[in-house]
Amino acid sequence: METYYYVNIFETKGLEYLLLMAFLVLLVLLFRYFNAPGSTKPGRKGWGP
Amino acid sequence: MPEKPQLSREAIRFVRFIVSEMKPKPPYFTAFNLITVPIVLLGMGILVLRFAKGLGAVTNLSQDFPWGFWIGFDVITGVALAGGAYCITFIVYVMRVEKYHSIVNVTVLNGFLAYVFYAGALTLDLGRPWNIINPIIGNSFGFNSVLFLVAWHFMLYMAAEFLEFSPVIADWLGWRRVKKWLSAITLGAVIFGITLSTLHQSGLGALFLMAKPKIHPLWYSEFIPILFFTSSIFAGLCMVIVEGTLTHRVLKDHIDPDHHASHDEIIIGLAKFASIAVFVYYFFKLLTFLHGKQWTMLGDFWGFWYALEVGGLVLIPGAMLAFGVRHRNVEIIRMGSVLAILGVILNRLNLSVIAFKWYAPVHYYPSWQEIVVTLMVISVEIWVFRWVVSRMPVMRKSRFQ
Repeated sequence: METYYYVNIFETKGLEYLLLMAFLVLLVLLFRYFNAPGSTKPGRKGWGP
Repeated sequence: MPEKPQLSREAIRFVRFIVSEMKPKPPYFTAFNLITVPIVLLGMGILVLRFAKGLGAVTNLSQDFPWGFWIGFDVITGVALAGGAYCITFIVYVMRVEKYHSIVNVTVLNGFLAYVFYAGALTLDLGRPWNIINPIIGNSFGFNSVLFLVAWHFMLYMAAEFLEFSPVIADWLGWRRVKKWLSAITLGAVIFGITLSTLHQSGLGALFLMAKPKIHPLWYSEFIPILFFTSSIFAGLCMVIVEGTLTHRVLKDHIDPDHHASHDEIIIGLAKFASIAVFVYYFFKLLTFLHGKQWTMLGDFWGFWYALEVGGLVLIPGAMLAFGVRHRNVEIIRMGSVLAILGVILNRLNLSVIAFKWYAPVHYYPSWQEIVVTLMVISVEIWVFRWVVSRMPVMRKSRFQ
């Protein structure tokens, strides 16, 4: 009889779930990184208004 | 009967206008012309040989490697890099972000020409090119095959992109009413085009699903269609950034001053979209990496090659794009875009050529003739692009405004 171990992170696809959660958290952090205040310093080539 | 003479006068005026526009404009002896003219002439000679004596006379293709550089680079990579058109039209016409409206025409033109030339280059690689009509007329063709979908999508998408660009042609010809009518159907063509793009970008990836034993396991995944689609988003946007930069330097006389002034802001906005797309793509890659337990295969040359592609040409350019957006540094965004484009080129070539039948004792590599013909296709596309931009109101204001 085939044994199924619920603690095996590959068989339970636990790794994929952890990755998905990490993705959602990091996506929020990425947006916060883009929109954080004080991200511009004047005087360099290519800097916008 | 005053109408007939007036009609013939108008026809004569039209023909004279077209003939005058066909004449090349100086300067003729530019560095670009001096490099590309010999390439195009040599490429045409090679093509004569190819159609007279067959593929074997000029390519290194064989029964073991029937798909080579022309398919791998021109078709599969070229179509990914042309993805900017559906991204920009979606942002402008569907999301209604007017900030990018000034680059819609030039991006659609780039996308249209890329499909015409790169997908058109498919005919060079077909042993019997006259059979290219078969999927269209349904002659001896598998209706359930991915190639059938890709063939129809290419044809319909080219038609949709031509419709999207057609108001500019009507403007150039001075046809005010025709332009108004064509502009009215643009939104429909855009939605049709975006739908087709999402399907055939992933469809090109789906072509490789049936070649599982032939593709190195580091590159093969059931998610190839999704990876192709997500990577086409940032590949297309990075291509728009690079092409826009080159166009603004080389063809600045044909650009509206307002458009010129807003160029850096547009690049920063596009880089933000591109870095988010890279982020999503990277997680899909990570998912396939973990799902397939691929870390066990990183120890040899192919592991190093994979790490170079995924780390050096996806993760690093993604970080550069995000850093450039955050610090509003256009130079870093441009460098990141170039690296991201190289990453997508390497990914497509790995799948279709380099890591394809990696176990074969004698591996395929492109002949010099294949490379020259590819350079010829790119050169002719740039010639046509330059001809259109320097004559039609692609980046200038319409004469009817």
